[in-house]
Amino acid sequence: MPIKEYDVLIVGSGHSGGMAANILTGKGISCLMLNAGPQADMVKDRAFKSAHELPYRGFDKPGRLPHVFQANEFNANQWVDEKEFPYTHPSDAVYNWVRVRLLGGRSLFWARQSFRLSDYEFKAADIDGTGENWPISLADLAPYYSRVEQIFRVTGRKEGWPQFPDGDFVDSTFEPDSPSLTKLTEYATKRGLPVSKWRHAQGKDGLASSMNLLLPDSLETGKLDIVQNAIVREVSLDKNTGLANGVHFIDRHSRREMHVKAKVVVLAAGTLESTRLLLNSKLANSSGVMGHYLVDQMYGVQVVASIPEVREKKTPPGYMGGSAFVPRFRNLKKDEKNSFIKGYCIGFSTGGNASPNYFPLYGEELQAKLNSYAGSCISGTIFGERVAKFENHVRINKEVVDDYGIPVLHIEARDGDNEKHLRKDAADTIEEIFHDAGWEIICKTDQVNPPGYSIHEVGTCRMGDDPKKSVLNKWCQSHDIKNLFVVDGASFVTAGWQNPTMTILSLSMRASEYLADQMKQGTLA
Amino acid sequence: MKRRGFVKGLLVTPAVPLIAHQNQTPAAAPAPVTPPRPVSQAIPNKLAMVEVDAAAQTTQHYFKPDQFAALEKLGEVMVPPLDGKPGATQAGAPVFLDFLISESPANRQKLYTHGLDGLNLAARKHFSKSFGELDAAQAGTILKPLLVARFWAQDMPEDPMQHFVAQVHEDLQTATTNSREWAQASSSTGRRGFNRAAGLYWNPIDPVVKG
Repeated sequence: MPIKEYDVLIVGSGHSGGMAANILTGKGISCLMLNAGPQADMVKDRAFKSAHELPYRGFDKPGRLPHVFQANEFNANQWVDEKEFPYTHPSDAVYNWVRVRLLGGRSLFWARQSFRLSDYEFKAADIDGTGENWPISLADLAPYYSRVEQIFRVTGRKEGWPQFPDGDFVDSTFEPDSPSLTKLTEYATKRGLPVSKWRHAQGKDGLASSMNLLLPDSLETGKLDIVQNAIVREVSLDKNTGLANGVHFIDRHSRREMHVKAKVVVLAAGTLESTRLLLNSKLANSSGVMGHYLVDQMYGVQVVASIPEVREKKTPPGYMGGSAFVPRFRNLKKDEKNSFIKGYCIGFSTGGNASPNYFPLYGEELQAKLNSYAGSCISGTIFGERVAKFENHVRINKEVVDDYGIPVLHIEARDGDNEKHLRKDAADTIEEIFHDAGWEIICKTDQVNPPGYSIHEVGTCRMGDDPKKSVLNKWCQSHDIKNLFVVDGASFVTAGWQNPTMTILSLSMRASEYLADQMKQGTLA
Repeated sequence: MKRRGFVKGLLVTPAVPLIAHQNQTPAAAPAPVTPPRPVSQAIPNKLAMVEVDAAAQTTQHYFKPDQFAALEKLGEVMVPPLDGKPGATQAGAPVFLDFLISESPANRQKLYTHGLDGLNLAARKHFSKSFGELDAAQAGTILKPLLVARFWAQDMPEDPMQHFVAQVHEDLQTATTNSREWAQASSSTGRRGFNRAAGLYWNPIDPVVKG
C-alpha cells in the first residue's frame, strides 16, 4: 500500500503542536500530526448533569486520580488515567503531573491568562546573580507575541511597566472599579505595589484552543493529516546520517506497532511527555542536562479578609465586585535586599464568600456565620516563581511501564528555602494591605500545592547557546540532531511568574518559521 | 450465517397463519372484539428512566452498628436541616458515606473507623453511652474541642481525631449538598440553576475495550 511521505512529523496537538502545524502548512509544508488520545465530540461526549446523577455523588471514584487536585467527578474523564499511564515520584516529594491526551491537549482547558515574559525572566541570571540567561530576549520574541495575541484575541490594560510588558491587545477597556477595588488599589499603591488588570485570551466562542484557532486553518490548506490514538514510543534515527527519520508508535486501540517517516521531527507533546520520549529514545542529550531544571510555579498562598461595613450592610449595592492584578514587584532592582530571589504576582478578587473551613463551627452556628460573611470577602492569591535547579529533574524509571509497555517517568522536584521565603513574603504583604484598609483577616496561609499543580511545568530540555549546558538552541532545535525540534514548554530556561502559554505559542511560531526557512534552504537534510 | 438466516426467517413469518392452524374448533359465538393496542412503528430513541435513588435505598454494609450510629449522629448534629434545605440525615448522607468509604483506599477507611471508634470511646467515658445515643449538647461537648479552623483546604490537622472530624464534616456537607434531596429543595425554593452541585459532565471518551 503506498504510504504518503511527509515533510514534518508533529507529535502532539496542543497549543505548541497546533501552532507548528499552522505555520508550516501555511508555508506549503506537508505535516503529519500524531496525537496520543482521541478527539472529543463536544456534543456527544458532554452533558449537563447534577452531582446526584453521578455514581459517586460528585466525589468521584475513590483513588482514581490521586495527583490531579483539579479533578472531580464531572471532569474526571478529561484527564489522563493515572493507572493506564502512571509515573513515579519519591514518597516525600509528591509531584502533580496533570495531563490531557484528547486532541487539542490542555489547550482545551487552560485558564486563558495571557502574559508576556519580560527581560527580568529572559535575562534572570543577570539580575539574580545565579542560573542561566535565555539565549533570547524580549525583543527577539516580541513580534511573535504580537501575532499570537491577535490570534488568541488577548485583552489587557497597557501599563508601560518593564516587568509586565504590554501586548498588542484587541481590547483595553474595562468597567470602572467597584468602591472596594478602588480602596484596595489605594492601599496596595501606598505600599508600592503596581495594580493592574488580568490579561485574558478571549479566543472564539469561549474557547482559545488549538482545536478552534489553529488546527482548522491548517487542515484547510490540505497539507495536514492528523492521526489520533497514536502513542509515540520513540524517535527513530537514520543510522547513516544520524538524523531523525520518523517515530515508532503504538495504535491505542489495536496495539499495533507502527512506524512513520518524515524529514523533520517536531516534538510538541507537552513538556514532560516530550522529554520522556527523548529519554526513552536515548538521543539528543550530549549535554547531560536533559530532564534537569524542571520548574513550575507555586499556587496556594492565600489571604482572605472580610470588609466589616459590607457585613453590617452599611455599603450600597455594587460596593463589592471585580478583580485586580499585581504583577511582580520584588527584586526588580539589583540592590534590593530580600531573603529570596525572583518574585510573584498577586491576584485580588472581591465579593466572595467565606469558606466553611475558616471557622471551627458546625450546624446552625456555622451557617449563621457564613450568612453574615456572605459577599463581604476579598481575597489575594499568588503565582510564585520557583527556582530552576539541576536537582529538580525527571528520569526514566526502568522498573515501571505504562499500559503500552513504555517506561514511565520518575519525577523529583522539591522546594527549597527560596520558595519558602518568597511565599511567606507574599502572605505577609497581602495581609499588610488588608490590615491597612481596616479589613478583618479571616484566613492567612503561606502553604502551596506540590510542584506540578500549576500545570505550568517547563524546562527539562532547556535552550541555550552553549551545547554543553543546553539541549536546544535558541530556535528550539536540538544541538545534536539538526532536524529535531522541541516546541513546547521543555525549552524554557526559567519559569517566570507568568502563565507560560503565550510564550510557548510564540516560541513555537518562531521555531516553525525558522524550520520552514531552513527546509527551504535545504540545511536540515 | 445459516443460523442468522433462520432467525431472520422466524422474525418475518407472520403469526396469524400459525394460530389459524392450531385453532381448528370453530367458536360457538363471536366474542366481543378488543381493539388491538396501537404499536409504535418507530424505535424510541430513549425511554424514560428513574434514578436508582428515587426507587431504592442504599444498603448499609460497611461500618459496624455502633460506628454507623455514630456517623448518623454526626450527620444529625453537624449538618442539620436549615433554611428549608435537607440536613445530612434527610439527604441520606451517612449511608452514602458508608458506601463511599467502603470503596476508598485503606488510609481513608482507617481514618473513619478509628475516628468513629474514638467518638464512641469518648462518649462512653463521659456519658456511659455510645456516641449515637447522645443528645446534641452531649455530642457537642465531645466535638467542639476537636474543631480546628483550616485556612488551607488540604491542610488537615495532625491530630487523628481532629483530622477525622474535619474530614467527616466536609464529607457530610458535600454528600448533603450534592444529594437529590438538596437539588429538589433548591428547585422548589425557586433557585433552580443556583445549585453548585451541577455542571458539565464528560463521558468516557473513546475508551479502550479491555478483555
